[in-house]
Amino acid sequence: MTRLIRTELLKLATMRLTYGLLAIAAALTALFSLLENNQAGSSGTGVPPISTAEGLRTVTTVTGFAMLFAAVLGSIVANGEFRHSTATLTYLATPNRSRVLVAKTIAAASVGSLFGLVAGVIATGVGLIFVAAHGDHVALSTGTLIGHIAGAFVGAALLAALGVAVGSQVRSQLATVIGIFVWAIIIESAIGGLYTSARPYLPYTATTLAGARLGNAAFGPAHGLNGGGPLPFPAAAALIAAVAVATSLVASRTTLKGDIT
Amino acid sequence: MAVIEVDALTKRFAGLTAVDQVSFTVERGSVVGFLGPNGAGKTTTLRMLLGLVTPTSGTATVNGHPYADLTEPLHIVGAVLESSLAYSGRSARNHLRIAALMGDAPPGRVDEVLDLVDLAGVADRRVGQFSLGMRQRLALATALLCDPEILILDEPANGLDPEGVHWLRTLLRRLADEGRSVLISSHILAEVAQTVDSVVILDRGRLVTQSTLAELTAGGAHVVRVRTPRASDLIELLTARGATAHVVSADWTEVTGATSEQIGTLAAEHAIPIFETTTEAADLEDIFLRLTANAERTEVTQ
Repeated sequence: MTRLIRTELLKLATMRLTYGLLAIAAALTALFSLLENNQAGSSGTGVPPISTAEGLRTVTTVTGFAMLFAAVLGSIVANGEFRHSTATLTYLATPNRSRVLVAKTIAAASVGSLFGLVAGVIATGVGLIFVAAHGDHVALSTGTLIGHIAGAFVGAALLAALGVAVGSQVRSQLATVIGIFVWAIIIESAIGGLYTSARPYLPYTATTLAGARLGNAAFGPAHGLNGGGPLPFPAAAALIAAVAVATSLVASRTTLKGDIT
Repeated sequence: MAVIEVDALTKRFAGLTAVDQVSFTVERGSVVGFLGPNGAGKTTTLRMLLGLVTPTSGTATVNGHPYADLTEPLHIVGAVLESSLAYSGRSARNHLRIAALMGDAPPGRVDEVLDLVDLAGVADRRVGQFSLGMRQRLALATALLCDPEILILDEPANGLDPEGVHWLRTLLRRLADEGRSVLISSHILAEVAQTVDSVVILDRGRLVTQSTLAELTAGGAHVVRVRTPRASDLIELLTARGATAHVVSADWTEVTGATSEQIGTLAAEHAIPIFETTTEAADLEDIFLRLTANAERTEVTQ
């Protein structure tokens, strides 16, 4: 299994797309962090001043897009093999397709976690720069801020794993990428808006909220979060992991058994 | 001893029978041509053999085991199934590094196979910039990476220029001389006739024949051309003995079903003068076309 995981990591390391997605994720995180910090404290924006703990929490957890890109990376790890016909060689080397799926999940989660880490560092860095520029006191402890970054790190890893599971089900790369964004941005927003109590259990929402929750629960006092009380971090992580495992199990019994023609 | 055994292999896709009860073997150290027109079921058969396509029925084994049960399969079987097995955004070297890691090939093997297929000079170029012929060479390099004892090559000459086809023949001959077993598919017999020991011919998903080239040629009708002034007498004698003969020009008669020795002896016994005889060996390509055409006729009849 170690060799299989190393192979999948080498595949990712020799794909320009990996670096491109990471760069886009970092750039979008920086952009949204700047916008959030700029709007913080302004009336009608819903973002409290960054001098407050709530405001600083909001701007240092702008890592959702990076997590989505980690999910996209995961999906490409899985179905990119079919798009580029490289699945033939992969399965010739390792006929046990479930083992390949496990290796891909671990590799994608490892690289995906970097997306969360980079985004967490950028969001926190930008937030702290704005706090310093305003001459404000840092309203959150160092531990809490590190917790936010750790949450983004774990959350991105989990969503990358979920991406592999989804990509194993749907062989069209374009459809998967579009599907991930539509689900996260449109469908979850719609469901969360209609059924507030269901919101914490929606995968993308649970992951993004879990990042903030990890910071609060592990290192500092609980801060109020907008909308539908987030799940405790272990519960949110378990939820995403369960969805990823269930989707992977279905894939290993259906699409992965299909003929490679 | 057979290294590859295919037994009553069948594959149906949504009502279409792509491979129908195909059985054949490949003996250790032999080079076998796997022939048939496009759409004959060659690729599907090879993919079933390699565990990529699940058979509807029948079995296919390598060294007595289904491919999926092989330990370190790339060390046992090297396969070229399509020229585009490498991600176009990677360099040839990185593609081979990945394949080497997959198969646990020894360090340094990547450079060795790059040299072997004459791609060392372009190893760091992205595969997307390669011509079809270069991709075929890279696919061969990938197959040879773990130094397998068996090679399964699906139309490896596709996209190669005449120089490339010559290079491929030389390489295959060398690999065969090293004692490897090779199963090489093609829809053109002439491509592989100089390399193979025997052939498996498929048409419309069915096995037409498995035989050595010598058997195939012997099975095809030799034509003996005879120059004689008494053609009608000779034709009468030959026909009475089951041969077929007919006049093709003023002095020349074409005979099938009898050797030149048999014709000469018969003519001498009946004092028929023979001025000249020539024997034309049956053309492999003609035999191949005839066999596949026969299969087609049988299919239509059924």
